[in-house]
Amino acid sequence: MKFYIKLAWRNIFRNKRRTIIASIAIGIGLASLIITDAFMLGMRQNMIKSATASFLGEAQLHRNGFREEFDVEKTILEHENMISKIKKNTLIDKYSKRAMAMGTIKSAEEISPIIVYGINPEFEQNISKIDEAVQNGKGTYFEGKKSTDIIIGSKLAKKLKVSIGDRTIITVTGKKNKKNINTKLENIDDEDILDEDEGPVEEAFYISGIYSFNINEMDTGMAFIRLNKAQKLLNLGDTIHEIAVKFVNIKNSTNHKLPIWEELSKNGNEFVGWDNLLPQLKAIFDMSGISLFVTAMILFAMITFGIINTLFMSLFERMFELGLLRAVGTRTSGIRLLLIFEASALSIISIIIGIILGFITTYILTKTGIDYKGIEIAGATINDLLYPVFHIKQYLLYPIGVFVFTLIVGTYPAYVAGKMPITKALRKSL
Amino acid sequence: MTKTEIIKVKNVRKTYMGNGIEVKAVRGIDLTIKSGEFTAIVGPSGSGKTTFLNTISGLDSPTEGEIQLNGKDLRKMNGKELSDMRRDNIGFIFQSYNLIPVLTVEENIEYIMMLQGIKASERKKRVNQILKEVELSGFEDRFPPQLSGGQQQRVAVARAMVSNPTLILADEPTANLDSKTSNSLLDMMKRLNKETNMTFLFSTHDPLIMEKADRVITLKDGKIESDEVK
Repeated sequence: MKFYIKLAWRNIFRNKRRTIIASIAIGIGLASLIITDAFMLGMRQNMIKSATASFLGEAQLHRNGFREEFDVEKTILEHENMISKIKKNTLIDKYSKRAMAMGTIKSAEEISPIIVYGINPEFEQNISKIDEAVQNGKGTYFEGKKSTDIIIGSKLAKKLKVSIGDRTIITVTGKKNKKNINTKLENIDDEDILDEDEGPVEEAFYISGIYSFNINEMDTGMAFIRLNKAQKLLNLGDTIHEIAVKFVNIKNSTNHKLPIWEELSKNGNEFVGWDNLLPQLKAIFDMSGISLFVTAMILFAMITFGIINTLFMSLFERMFELGLLRAVGTRTSGIRLLLIFEASALSIISIIIGIILGFITTYILTKTGIDYKGIEIAGATINDLLYPVFHIKQYLLYPIGVFVFTLIVGTYPAYVAGKMPITKALRKSL
Repeated sequence: MTKTEIIKVKNVRKTYMGNGIEVKAVRGIDLTIKSGEFTAIVGPSGSGKTTFLNTISGLDSPTEGEIQLNGKDLRKMNGKELSDMRRDNIGFIFQSYNLIPVLTVEENIEYIMMLQGIKASERKKRVNQILKEVELSGFEDRFPPQLSGGQQQRVAVARAMVSNPTLILADEPTANLDSKTSNSLLDMMKRLNKETNMTFLFSTHDPLIMEKADRVITLKDGKIESDEVK
């Protein structure tokens, strides 16, 4: 065995130029795979960060059914108890309470549908980047104490033709007032009570900030007011619709085996991670995983042909020698083993080249970054430079994959060499 | 010394297809080679020398006939058994490209012993001994391209003999050598034949080999034309 390894190693260096060229070609294939994976991983992290850190949060707590119906009545049940659990949980770093409703915003010239969010400015700073987005736009982020401050997106401001200080009218439908319903009980039947609606509520707000997230949905269809103002406007009392949370480690936001998910998803509430809140983003990642797999298969196919070509060239050049080895008593298995070892040796050299090329290129890109800023994919916009991310699998899984693949591919020339009649092999020479 | 039958060939025929044409390379040969013989099979190109040598060494199978090597019928052996039989009983010397160029002289010689599972220390001892016999001591670490043609053939002889086979098959061993080197090589082989009683069977055109051989078998059109014992 040791002898065949030595012989194989020496054999592949008989034609140094050919071996080096073949190894570089295979190495480039492996390096491409490593870089592509690092790039995909970087893009994934960037997009998750962009999607969750802009406003969404890494996970959200709602009343069951709220996400589907957006019913203002569906406030979080036992919200104080839920907040207490969130505060106590060591996996969760920050949280922010929110109230929200669909409505319209009207300026002197235009009207537009929006979702009005009531937020606690201080808490929200820990979860989202509205404050930073306002700096990208105009005005300030809830600096004063005015309850009529409203922050809207840049595209919405343009549509409404408003700027800082301008008056807008928000129209929303608030929660039903139970007191009012009770007073009417004597005069109307039950069916009428269920249909009871307080009707739309209108209130004037003054633009204090204009943000720009470069996310179309946010820049055109959302407006932020203070939480207590929203609670009054929507007749919520101290209840809320949403608690957005940020984990200490973002990986936990998709680890649904953790007890926190079950603990907060009880008694009519649901606690969902970003992967469920943005299924389209998860689908993109799943799809990119498939793309990477396809890329890997294409690269492996290239590697395959590279190896087969090199091994066959080497094989036909040395046909007499292989015949000689067979003639003097080497069994077919020995010849096949030799060819497999040659494929392995070629693979090892190629892997070393691939790892070095992949590492250097990835390292350089982690320093320089790749500019994909402003590109929006599945509701998530890349706002920062994209930095490839190193991962152990790039330097373990792919090289092992190439090695195993090479061994499998190497069996073909090995099979041919073993099957070649000795007398035919002995007739061939340079 | 009692001479035993090393090779016994009965009515061996070999027919193969060459470019769609049936070629009858060997047309019924009966032959017995005994231990210690220094025999040359001669004949013009296409007379069937190499094909005959290939069939009696198990490199190729005969179309018809029976071949016994050391009393064992080659037809009854499978591929693995034939490989082991060649490894343990036959030493090969070819015309050229006889050695593996990426292996040193020592590694080339010890290869067969390694296949036989002989320990490294024993291999080393035997390599040194055989190199002395072929007058190449000190060349152990050289690679074949660093040797002359004559030296390479000496190494090939050393490799063929080192495992003490009963039969040495040499196919045109002097074809690429000058007459002086050929003479020297053949003298060495003759000496080793006498010293070890190993059987040498040559396939050749070389008159020098015919001159030095104890027995000359002439083939013509795949048949034995003459069998002359000197």
